[in-house]
Amino acid sequence: MDYPKPPVGMLPTDRISYVPIPQRKPLKLPRGARMVVWTITNVEEWDPTQTMPRTVLTPPAGGSPMPDIPNWCWHEYGNRVGFWRLLKVYDEFKIPGVLNINGTAVEAMPELIKACVDRKWEFIGHGFTQRNMQKVENERADIRKCVEVLEKATGKRPRGWLGPGLTETWETPDILAEEGYDYVADWVLDDQPVWLKTRGKPILNLPYTQECNDVAMMLIQHHKANEFYERAMDQFEQIYRDAKDSARVMAISVHPYIMGAPHRAKYFRMIYQKIRKKPGVLFWTGSQIADWFMKTGPKPE
Amino acid sequence: MANPMIPRERCDYSAIIDRKPLKLPGKARIVFWTIVNYEVWDIGKPMARQLLPAPTGVPLMPDVVHWGFHEYGMRVGCWRFHELFKKLKIKPTLAANARICEDYPRVAEEARRDGWEFMGHAYEQGPIHKEADQAGMIRRTMDIMEKFTGKRPVGWLGPGLTQTLETPDLLAAAGVKYIGDWVYDDEPTVIKTTGGPLVTLPYTIECNDIPVMIIQHHDSDYLLKLVKDQFDRLYAESSKRAKICALAIHPYISGQPHRIKHLEAIYRYVNKHKGVLHWNGAQIYDWYKGVAKV
Amino acid sequence: MPMHPRERIEYSPIEGRPPLKFPDGVRMVIWPVLALEEWDMARPMARMVISPPQGQPQQPDHPNWSWHEYGMRVGFWRLRKVLQELKVTPTVTLNAKVCETYPGVVKACMDSGWELNAHGYDQVPMHKVEDQRGVIMRAMDMIEKFAGQRPRGWFGPGLTQTFDTLDYLSEAGVEYIGDWVLDDEPVTLKTAHKPVVALPYNFEIHDIVMMALQHHTSDIMYVRARDHFEWLYAEAAERPKIMAIACHPYLSGVPHRIGHVQRTFAELLARDGVVCWDGATILDWYLAQRR
Repeated sequence: MDYPKPPVGMLPTDRISYVPIPQRKPLKLPRGARMVVWTITNVEEWDPTQTMPRTVLTPPAGGSPMPDIPNWCWHEYGNRVGFWRLLKVYDEFKIPGVLNINGTAVEAMPELIKACVDRKWEFIGHGFTQRNMQKVENERADIRKCVEVLEKATGKRPRGWLGPGLTETWETPDILAEEGYDYVADWVLDDQPVWLKTRGKPILNLPYTQECNDVAMMLIQHHKANEFYERAMDQFEQIYRDAKDSARVMAISVHPYIMGAPHRAKYFRMIYQKIRKKPGVLFWTGSQIADWFMKTGPKPE
Repeated sequence: MANPMIPRERCDYSAIIDRKPLKLPGKARIVFWTIVNYEVWDIGKPMARQLLPAPTGVPLMPDVVHWGFHEYGMRVGCWRFHELFKKLKIKPTLAANARICEDYPRVAEEARRDGWEFMGHAYEQGPIHKEADQAGMIRRTMDIMEKFTGKRPVGWLGPGLTQTLETPDLLAAAGVKYIGDWVYDDEPTVIKTTGGPLVTLPYTIECNDIPVMIIQHHDSDYLLKLVKDQFDRLYAESSKRAKICALAIHPYISGQPHRIKHLEAIYRYVNKHKGVLHWNGAQIYDWYKGVAKV
Repeated sequence: MPMHPRERIEYSPIEGRPPLKFPDGVRMVIWPVLALEEWDMARPMARMVISPPQGQPQQPDHPNWSWHEYGMRVGFWRLRKVLQELKVTPTVTLNAKVCETYPGVVKACMDSGWELNAHGYDQVPMHKVEDQRGVIMRAMDMIEKFAGQRPRGWFGPGLTQTFDTLDYLSEAGVEYIGDWVLDDEPVTLKTAHKPVVALPYNFEIHDIVMMALQHHTSDIMYVRARDHFEWLYAEAAERPKIMAIACHPYLSGVPHRIGHVQRTFAELLARDGVVCWDGATILDWYLAQRR
């Protein structure tokens, strides 16, 4: 099928070829492990002079008020309280943290940054602000500012990127590769890492998740809290089975204002209580997954 | 009509605890009121409800998918209701668009033969606000049903329970005695109209498969759970005053294979209790007329 | 120049704050909030349980008006009975107009000794109010006149605020609000006049959010409240925790939900060290702590 080429960047179908998973060379993890679980905590800064990215309580008779104080506060609870509640679970089960954080949030919450730096969490770029990348005036400047801010705060350049709402323009992977990122996670299309072509160096895509994701489950699908646990276990069991002959990667994604609410935290904790000590399962950061795959996986075409 | 009454002019506020308890005949304490809804969805208009939004979300005309979704109720779903209520010996209220007498005479005949109470429910399914000649449509609805069944209906339910401010006046003028649109109480009430008093009966948008299944997207067994909770509470309260528990169902929803067994279970549950009367709207109206001296 | 929210209160992680202290014997506070509203039929309804056939909202919206009205005629009395039996003392937040339209309901709350709190004049977002300062003052005055006491607290309709609402509230004598759901503890907000305290209300154990918007099953009030409670109760060993539970008569007062609401309050309040406080009580405790 010949789709029209975009004015900049590439068609997704030009970045990645179709290769069914059973036809790929088996991937092997160290120490006989068969699957990797990576846990991503998303921390955002919502500008009260803009429309809120999500809402839990619409105003009486509908509409989009400006400012939207109640929904701004609902989200801010996550930064003030919810994050610290989830952090205790991370500490209890020694989960290596991946912090997916807006650039503007880094300055706004130094204590939060320090807590993650002290625990040696991996920081990945998540837009400079919480906005659709297609609505950002200068995408390269935005992506570059994230590198600067994160390097300043953590002493390390970020290696990975996950766009706000996973949004990308036609050329986001090209710009990311040019700005020195090693991996992206916006392409939720596989259970294994895959290479993406860019106009320059190829960039790796790691399997993130819209399924084991609290925004989808709680805010859009309106499931009850224990669905987060039930679904994660169903997902885990299937992926574990699938991983018998070739390694798989499973992501779990949380937002402090959602899973950090008192009535949901228990179900986040229950997952790790169940799976943290399972034989054959590695708990890694995105960086570790990327290094492993680059070393032992297929080379880019 | 100039300046029709607003609801509060038709009926004063009243707290239920201030009213004298009503009493049902004999040892009865609670009425279970089943209302079956049959509709006609005109393919030339937008469909009344959407279960599967079109790809990219833009509603389409004609909307064949949802026309088919509703049509299932007339071809298949409604017969499950007829079989169930024959077995239970219940004659429910049938809130029907009058047009079913023209478009689905086979279905309308079955309801007439089974002795179901015909209740006016507009001519076809759409909000009553869009009706250019509301008085004419009401009269036409009531006339068609009177001709079909040999009896003028005493009850009315607006499509989607919709009313404009003047609807109660037009209904009274057309000979309607009771309505189900005012879901504001557990008990029957009387409201003023320009044509004399009109009774409201406690129909339901809670125990109703449209909000529960089509709007709120609950699991198939949830109507059973919900009605059990509703009935349990009303039954407990009925030790002090007569209570009415309504259940509103549509054949294209509760008549689906994956839901019908839960509907059957509702009646099994209710019938385990003593003092339950399975009445239709006309029977509730007749009783209320007597005890409240309307 | 109205303040940006972060100018009214600095970011502060809950870890690292010196803990507040509850009186002896109190480990956790339940804060029940009962909201009474007036839905003007001349306007679109605040919430909808049923859309009309073909989906376009019509006016008047009679079915949804009736659905709300049930709450005042029947649901409130059912809820009140349950709360009285359990000795629950809620904050009652009311549209001031309710004093005119449903005086018997307001009087019943006063007879029960329940705290009255101002919830705007009627159920309209503050952004749509032309003279916010005037409406706030009017609402506070109306309730004061009816009850003989000026309310100390405020909830915006739909918790809505503009950037300067807090300044008008402070000017009108409001001492606490429930609109800022950003913490587990009371926090102090700067205004152009006296500071105002934000008490920890929430959108989680809240019947509009759960039932009208997220469409959960009726038992989720109990399931969610219990999960919420258990986690906070454990944390309450380290620092005081306050859990709000928000009920509206047209939702929590219907027969198929009331049992779950009753069970929720009955079980939570039976636990060791758990007490029921209204907003004024929580405020006074917090102000004493702050001193």
